[in-house]
Amino acid sequence: MKTRIIQIRPNLFAFLVAVMFWGCEAGSRSADVSPGMQTGVGGSMARFAITGNTLYIATQQSLEVYDITQPDQPSKTTKRDLGVGIETIFPYKNNLFIGANNGMYIFDNSDPKAPRQLSFYSHIQSCDPVVVQGDYAYVTLRNGTTCRRFASPSSLDVVDISNLSSPRLLTSLNMESPYGLGVDGNRLFVGEGSKGLKLFDISDPVKPVLKKFRSDIPTYDVIPYRSTLIITGEKGIFQYRYDDKDQFDLLSKIPVE
Amino acid sequence: MKQSILIFSLSLLLGIVACDPPIDRTTGGPAFDGTGYRAVYATAAELAKIETQPPRALRKPGKIYVQGNYLFVNEQGEGLHVLDNADPAKPRKISFLKIPGNNDIAAKGRYLYADNATDLVVLDIGDPTSVKLVKRIEAAIPPQNFPALQQVYFECPDAQKGTIVAWEKVAMSSPPACFR
Repeated sequence: MKTRIIQIRPNLFAFLVAVMFWGCEAGSRSADVSPGMQTGVGGSMARFAITGNTLYIATQQSLEVYDITQPDQPSKTTKRDLGVGIETIFPYKNNLFIGANNGMYIFDNSDPKAPRQLSFYSHIQSCDPVVVQGDYAYVTLRNGTTCRRFASPSSLDVVDISNLSSPRLLTSLNMESPYGLGVDGNRLFVGEGSKGLKLFDISDPVKPVLKKFRSDIPTYDVIPYRSTLIITGEKGIFQYRYDDKDQFDLLSKIPVE
Repeated sequence: MKQSILIFSLSLLLGIVACDPPIDRTTGGPAFDGTGYRAVYATAAELAKIETQPPRALRKPGKIYVQGNYLFVNEQGEGLHVLDNADPAKPRKISFLKIPGNNDIAAKGRYLYADNATDLVVLDIGDPTSVKLVKRIEAAIPPQNFPALQQVYFECPDAQKGTIVAWEKVAMSSPPACFR
């Protein structure tokens, strides 16, 4: 049964703006800023994100924007009202990807003080976070919170965002109860909540191939960082060393006590 | 064009049908399954108490954040564990930052931005064993006047009791007046 429908709000002007700025991408989501003023890296479930001198906060119903050029004196520059059910924010290159429980907003933040909505990728299920690499967004959708009676299966969706004004669903894989996820090179890590952690090979970014399913690692969110996967979940913090092949070795764990 | 209108109508129809919840005829809300959400309140005085404490055990770890050699682990609604993660094989707890109503952070340089229930606070973490509050922006984040779930019952918020910092799922003998 095909139950997912994609709705796009076309916006020609925003599209043209996106095209204009497309050529001048600054840094990506990177921790390698000059030492001393280094910005950190959050997980996919984050509601706070910093790019350059701007702090973004995704509240339940809005995107709040603060200028932190003077880091100890944040000043609010603007805000965007976004209906309800906003859950996560993921900055990538010159864009913000905002996960809501009815879809995903894509903003152009080439002018960080005035983010501009390019599109809204909509679906009828409850939606959780999104991560982005290259032309692809990976979105997890978890059922059981919004539509109980005719709940569709939870899934991991691969969305083509090569045209940011017109995101397009490419692949959808059934999942159990997905929460946070992380992507690094050809590795995609998906937390399945209390059910565990899944590792996918995305050498073909459109066709994630399941390589490992670790039901012993309950995973709420992950951060891939310097070849270390940092995992948070109900049993505690786990860290694994990974590479672009089969390596996945436990480095440490800090158990819940 | 005609086709796109058709698809749009179909999507609306599917959306409505799929999300049509079971109705509890006695309240007009969703079916009551014997559980509901109870608000956890904190007073203004309790919320304002931000302090550096000795490291403590993880109980309900939430979100994580990495900055250089630091790993921050949120203790849901309570604050942050600060860890030295220079060697991920041997992470070392440095301190615990008590930030009531905290779930999210971001950091740049020596400054940490955190939610303190409905306030945004800036902390100087230059010395993570002695963190200083440098800025508080009140009412920067809308209150959580309902749980972040749908088709659930919850106790109606009571502003007299303070600010809501969390919602707990509890057994209830009858459905409360508020639902969504």
